[in-house]
Amino acid sequence: MIKIDHLTKRYTSTVAVDDLDFEVQPGVVTGFLGPNGSGKSTTMRIILGLDLPSKGQATINGKRYADLKSPLREVGALLDAKAVHPGRTARNHLRSLAASNQIKKSRVDEVLEFVGISSVATKKVGTFSLGMSQRLGIAGALLGDPGVLLFDEPVNGLDPEGIRWIRDFFRTLANEGRTVFVSSHLMSEMAVSADQIVVIGRGRFITSGSVDDLTKTAEGSVLVRGSDHALLATVLAAQHGLVHDSNDLGLTVGGLTSDQIGTIAYDAGITLFELTPQRASLEEVFMDLTADSLEFGARAPTPGATT
Amino acid sequence: MSDASLGASTRAEWIKFRTVRSSTWGVITTVVLMIGLGALFAVLTRTHWNQLSPLRVATFDPVSNSMGGILLAQFAVGVIGAMFITSEFTSGSIRTTLSAVPKRARLLASKMVVLFASMVLVGEIVCFSAFLIGQRIYVGVVPTASLDNTTVLRSVVLAGVYLALLTLFGFALGVIFRHSATTISVYVGLLLIAPLIIFFLPQSWQNDIQRFEPSSLGAAMESPLAQSNSFGAWSATLVLLLYVAGLTAVAFALFQRRDAGANS
Repeated sequence: MIKIDHLTKRYTSTVAVDDLDFEVQPGVVTGFLGPNGSGKSTTMRIILGLDLPSKGQATINGKRYADLKSPLREVGALLDAKAVHPGRTARNHLRSLAASNQIKKSRVDEVLEFVGISSVATKKVGTFSLGMSQRLGIAGALLGDPGVLLFDEPVNGLDPEGIRWIRDFFRTLANEGRTVFVSSHLMSEMAVSADQIVVIGRGRFITSGSVDDLTKTAEGSVLVRGSDHALLATVLAAQHGLVHDSNDLGLTVGGLTSDQIGTIAYDAGITLFELTPQRASLEEVFMDLTADSLEFGARAPTPGATT
Repeated sequence: MSDASLGASTRAEWIKFRTVRSSTWGVITTVVLMIGLGALFAVLTRTHWNQLSPLRVATFDPVSNSMGGILLAQFAVGVIGAMFITSEFTSGSIRTTLSAVPKRARLLASKMVVLFASMVLVGEIVCFSAFLIGQRIYVGVVPTASLDNTTVLRSVVLAGVYLALLTLFGFALGVIFRHSATTISVYVGLLLIAPLIIFFLPQSWQNDIQRFEPSSLGAAMESPLAQSNSFGAWSATLVLLLYVAGLTAVAFALFQRRDAGANS
């Protein structure tokens, strides 16, 4: 289990992480979601003791990373696949890691085999593609057979086959009872690969919960098609309905449930042909949640800004 | 013992040290400079012996002359030490290293043990080789020295120690400055440029300061003859050791405090 305890990281002029406080549970894949620059990587580096927090702390199974006796046996991490010495071979890289935590040498070939890069084990890491480097990083993370795993943007640079492989891999790790914490700026990726999600923006906690819960809490809308769209729009607006989109095909209405819309239409004497609740996609929920916290967000032009 | 102990991290650093080019090439360069240049100096001395001034003949030191390659080898060993840590910063592999060994003081200690042990070995081998080859070349024409003389033996041993300590000197600078180019510039500056600056100071100051220059310390360590305005061999060793200890203390303090995360 990973516990983030009122964590704050301040750099000279910016606050990268602002009072984050959450837990990552074992047995599920937990997605760590936020736009680029929202503090995900900083948080992960603090968990690993690479960056030092300004306030608060991060613990793994109740201990700070630096206090773990054999860290690679408890935590496996892939933060930056290119963070290896380019002149060293893949096998020597893993052998030095294994030696540092007294992991037996035979395990190196096991993990190389597992991630499918045995054939390039004696090649220099500098010659690897990003995909191969990712696999080497995963091999390094698995070396000590740890119960807690952290991956920072793991699907970057992977081909579709690799992405599918890594999703299944996370699932397997979680099913084995491990804690799997995966960051991404892509909601669509998290929607298919994570069970639980923690959303942050500008270093601040926004929300967390299961993927299903998050979409449920999102404001849904209802697609309505009926005999008189103009009248329908008027009566719905009178009952505080928000008509987002109106065309010949129908109306997209927010703020009212399909039951309420049906009743209002009935009272107004409008025949309904279609009444379909639209489930907000996770992507929309994410955009909604983080709209205020985009570091470099493109903002809609403000009317009347030019005078 | 199942902890990731100092022994384990030292074994890991040993694997890392011998599996990158910067160290293997650094060692090869050191060998070539010490033995090759040493032999070249010895040959030149032998062939020009009759043309040397009486003063040069009177002050000739077959020990430091045969180990003349140290003038250049001292830069090679500094680069070995510096690159052993700066390559971790520039490639970002320091993050992988620290996630395996999060106790930072232990990590630096492991690296220093590996560096010192390997470079003392390399240093002694090259210094003894250069010395013995040099004496072989001198014999019959130029006066020679023998290892049976304890002062001569001390000089050759301390020459190797000088190279090993300079490796740690370069390493500590590397921890402090993190970039290869900056570190090597500072290292070369301290060994080469500082004496030049001191050269422009008034003579009386020069006499006082000169002995503290790393290269003067090296000269005192590797010669059986007492140098003018200089420390004795053992005092010079102690002063160099203090330099390394001081720099190492600064390096440890900075390394403990800094974030290792962001690319520097």
